[in-house]
Amino acid sequence: MIIVDNVHKRYVTDHGPGRWILKGVSLTIPKNVTVGLVGRNGAGKSTLLRLIGGIDTPNQGRVTRQCRVSWPMSAGGLQGSLTGRQNVKFACRIHGHERDMAERLAAVQEFAELGSYFDEPVKTYSQGMRARLQFGLSLAFDFDTYISDEVTAAGDSVFRKKAAQAFKNLTDRAGLIMVSHSESTLRQFCTAGIWLHDGQAYWFDDIGDALKNYKESIAA
Amino acid sequence: MSQTRSSATVTFSVWRALFLREAVSRMMGKRMAWVWLLVEPLFHISYLAIYHGVLRSRSIGGINTVLWIVVGVLAYYMFVYPARRSMHAISANQALFVYRQIKPVDTVLVRVALEAFLMVIITIVVLCLVGLAGIDAVPDDPLLVLAAAGGLALTALGFGLLASVLHELTPELGKILELFFLPLYVVSGTIFAISGVPEPYRGWMMLNPLAHGIEIARQGFASYYHVVPETDIVYLYSVAIVVLALGLALQVRFKEKLVAK
Repeated sequence: MIIVDNVHKRYVTDHGPGRWILKGVSLTIPKNVTVGLVGRNGAGKSTLLRLIGGIDTPNQGRVTRQCRVSWPMSAGGLQGSLTGRQNVKFACRIHGHERDMAERLAAVQEFAELGSYFDEPVKTYSQGMRARLQFGLSLAFDFDTYISDEVTAAGDSVFRKKAAQAFKNLTDRAGLIMVSHSESTLRQFCTAGIWLHDGQAYWFDDIGDALKNYKESIAA
Repeated sequence: MSQTRSSATVTFSVWRALFLREAVSRMMGKRMAWVWLLVEPLFHISYLAIYHGVLRSRSIGGINTVLWIVVGVLAYYMFVYPARRSMHAISANQALFVYRQIKPVDTVLVRVALEAFLMVIITIVVLCLVGLAGIDAVPDDPLLVLAAAGGLALTALGFGLLASVLHELTPELGKILELFFLPLYVVSGTIFAISGVPEPYRGWMMLNPLAHGIEIARQGFASYYHVVPETDIVYLYSVAIVVLALGLALQVRFKEKLVAK
């Protein structure tokens, strides 16, 4: 269970404190629920994910994680000068999987299908290849809740299909909080929804209702 | 699902992972990067040793000029390598902070540890080469040499903790700090003897903890070496501890600001 209690967040810009992005968000996200985050650009979707993921702290209020939460999976976290294999090893080490590293490496290698590029520096990868590695990496560890920031939307159609299947299997046993601008992706993976609007968060048990509110807000 | 790990376990696995990662990118990052690691100090030491040892004088403060230069430059690098590299540790590793296990302070600690470790290897190689050239490069008092190196590395750690925060929060300050590295080389007594400077200037120069560390290292190599009278190992360690405390305090104070985009 993840409890977000009265969270306020703003960033400091070059011209002093910025505007409030989250203004008193309170949510309780139960375990094993798949949630889609919707809201217009700049509504604070990624900010909320970063706060839930524990890599940023709220200016006011608190976030409590009572389960094992993944890092916010997005395009970051890979070091360009190191190879794909070295990057995966690094992630294994910091997550305390030094012992069974070989199995996890094999799993990521098989999933990402990078061939010989797995041993080339990540900076030589195309965007699609980066995303494949990133995605393979995110599946390599067991978390209770996964946080995904637009991580599925990459690769060719064959890979997308495979990724979708893997994601589905994942959500059978774990929770998921995801941001995506694709309505079909959200409907495919999420049951519940959170709509972020004007610094407030609104919970919907059905992702369809969240999307409906979101669409009405941008039409207005 | 496995159990959650203790904070200490997480920290140690982060340090280990970061150390290996930094070591790989430092030594394999560019073509033959590990060769350049040795070439810079070697080249530096050679031309200074030839200039001072062959062209100017045979001994400084009672010890062989070449040894005097070698030990001075190595001791100087024991501070400068970790200090200079760790200053950029936080900015260079921003991408890693998506993993909440990794804190900014970890990247600084690991960089200092790696650079100090590399410096120990470089020192051993250089001293072996000097020994092969027929100059007695075996320390009379190895413990004193270690104490000097430890004090210099500790000062570098304090400086790194402090400077990495300043560099990240106000890059202009970081640039100014980098400017200090140039005169530091001259005023620390690596290429000319501070003992020859008249008072009161000598006292002012000895406010620099590096000068103490370098003199103590030379004394460790040759017990008959005439150190600068003000040399004091307690001063070196006191400065190290003060800078260290200040650096850690800054790291704690700004730990959230350092990872925020």
